[in-house]
Amino acid sequence: MTSETMSGESASPESMTSAITLTAVTKTYSAASPAALQGVNLDILPGTSTAIVGPSGSGKSTILRIIAGLEDANGGRVRLAGRDVTTLLPEDRGIAMVFQRPLLFPHLTVLDNVAFADRAAGLSRAQARKRARKHLELVHMAEFGGRSPHSLSGGQQQRVAVARALAAKPSVLLLDEPFSALDSGLKGDMHAMIAEIREAVNPTILFVTHDRDEASAMAERIVVLENGQLLQHDTVDHVFHRPASLAVARLLGGKNAFEGTIENGVHHSGLGAVAIDADVEPGPATLVFRHEAVTSTLRQPTSGTDAAALATRHADAAACQRSGPRALHGIVTATVQRGPRREVIVRVADAEVHTEAAPGRPLAVGDLVTVSLPCEALWAVPRQ
Amino acid sequence: MTAVPTVTTVTTPLAPGPARPRRRQLRAALLVLPAVIPVAIVVIGGVGATLLQSLGLMPLVGAAELSTAAFDDTDELLTSALLSLSIAVVSTAIAAVVGFFTAVLIISGNWGGRIVTVLSAAAVTVPHLVGAATVGLLLSDSGVLARLFGISPDAWPALVAGPTWFAVIAEYAWKESAFIALIIVGTLATRITSYDEAAAVLGAHRSARLRLVLFPLAAPSLLVASAIAFAYTLGSYEVAWMLGATYPEPLSVMALRLFNTASLTARPEAAAIGVITVVLTAAVVGAAMLGLRRMRAWR
Repeated sequence: MTSETMSGESASPESMTSAITLTAVTKTYSAASPAALQGVNLDILPGTSTAIVGPSGSGKSTILRIIAGLEDANGGRVRLAGRDVTTLLPEDRGIAMVFQRPLLFPHLTVLDNVAFADRAAGLSRAQARKRARKHLELVHMAEFGGRSPHSLSGGQQQRVAVARALAAKPSVLLLDEPFSALDSGLKGDMHAMIAEIREAVNPTILFVTHDRDEASAMAERIVVLENGQLLQHDTVDHVFHRPASLAVARLLGGKNAFEGTIENGVHHSGLGAVAIDADVEPGPATLVFRHEAVTSTLRQPTSGTDAAALATRHADAAACQRSGPRALHGIVTATVQRGPRREVIVRVADAEVHTEAAPGRPLAVGDLVTVSLPCEALWAVPRQ
Repeated sequence: MTAVPTVTTVTTPLAPGPARPRRRQLRAALLVLPAVIPVAIVVIGGVGATLLQSLGLMPLVGAAELSTAAFDDTDELLTSALLSLSIAVVSTAIAAVVGFFTAVLIISGNWGGRIVTVLSAAAVTVPHLVGAATVGLLLSDSGVLARLFGISPDAWPALVAGPTWFAVIAEYAWKESAFIALIIVGTLATRITSYDEAAAVLGAHRSARLRLVLFPLAAPSLLVASAIAFAYTLGSYEVAWMLGATYPEPLSVMALRLFNTASLTARPEAAAIGVITVVLTAAVVGAAMLGLRRMRAWR
């Protein structure tokens, strides 16, 4: 089984065209603490939007700060558009960064905040303001130019912060959890704004978030970090549905993982025998699939048919597609409402499967259900 | 016949708008009263008594009689006032510039900044009288520096008690620059790093950050600290008395001399100088407060 990119990407001759290239970057804050980053290799292509996700302390923000030049790496190189910037000051790197707090300068109006980069570059106030107005229009804040930053809401301030960063004409736009303090409605507005900006000016964006939904909404690729190590850098779909390891699956909220063994393309576990459509090596492996991709539907009890029997029905199938989608039978052991969706935990044979209730079919504990496993949702990772 | 549905509007009794803020303001006023009352007694009582004495309404001997005689020697008063203002303006300006850059150095967080922090904190704890004595020993024609450079007293410039008031200005500038630096550091230390980083990643070089971010953000505390330093410098006497020329006298030194003179009739003149000093100080501090209100960073 191969993911598109596993455990980071090494610098290659092609990486000279990358917007950002990290080569064996390490960072340790103190001798007593573990390394914040351990030999991270990463290539970010121009014009793409990439999310860095990982638990607290995994090194997400450290990567951004090292790219920005706000922290010095203990080892490794940082290249922007092929240019080695490892030893350059932040102001000489041609990047812009938006922080978790907007950090708008309180002594400047909104317009002058956006005009800041041009003023710092030596443009006259009038010229800088003229250019700033265009960027304020881009974030739908043109009418707020004369206001003080403190008179704006949190979401408006963050819009201005993004406009201010874009006005610096950066080769790379770095966003360090910029929308984490906003409510879900405002976050949606911000994601739409970023999409508009990408359409208008197509910057290379690298952003840190702890929100998986935000990562998939704003990025086409995701970098997964844990304990300073890059676990996977891949497309959004692959990271969620084709994780490189069980750790990646867990970090991205995967709830279904069944240890077992692969033989002839079929995974055997407490769940039964499940054929996998992937180039899988025989041997110990963990079957993983997203609970969102699996639905439970109510069924009438049928005599003599149990989950194990249905599961083993496909034991000899060579591949999932040939054998058709899995249909496991089980009993509901718990349900959890999550907003409009309802998570249903189903006991199937010796295992518990996290699923979603089909829309409009209320399920309760004790119900007998059929669990549908689409072939596309199934994946196996080497057992760790 | 169908019944016509009636629409009833339910009105929720609202708390009267202005009452709550007014009650809150009153509560806040009551809470600060214990601090305001003693300050008011000292300031209003002291300044009021000085004013009454300067106008002949509170004589030590004789009957009270309204008179502006204590303010009559206008030439002398003008000379002293100009001298006091000059010393205060020059020493405060130097202290503000040195204090600001000292604060920048401290905020930078490097080892040089840490040394400067210790030196500034130490300078603030030294009393002005001790500072004046130290500066006198350092800068006088037979002082440490003259001996260190091997310059004879005749060739050494009159830094102490000379016409330039160099030693007085140097002492005030040294002490007040440390005070101003610590005030700026105290107000900026927690937030300046973030703003500095935000400016740096927008392409602003060090000089641009200093001009466009650091100075404007430090300006309110710089102005307030400078106003305090100015008021102190204008009103204090000991440094000018120890290190200054005998003539002309700054207002504070003249007031002290007249107050301590054997003639009790000189008391109104001493009080008049006190009143002039208060008026000058109030004018400068008032202008500083007006300037502060106009600053966007303060608002």
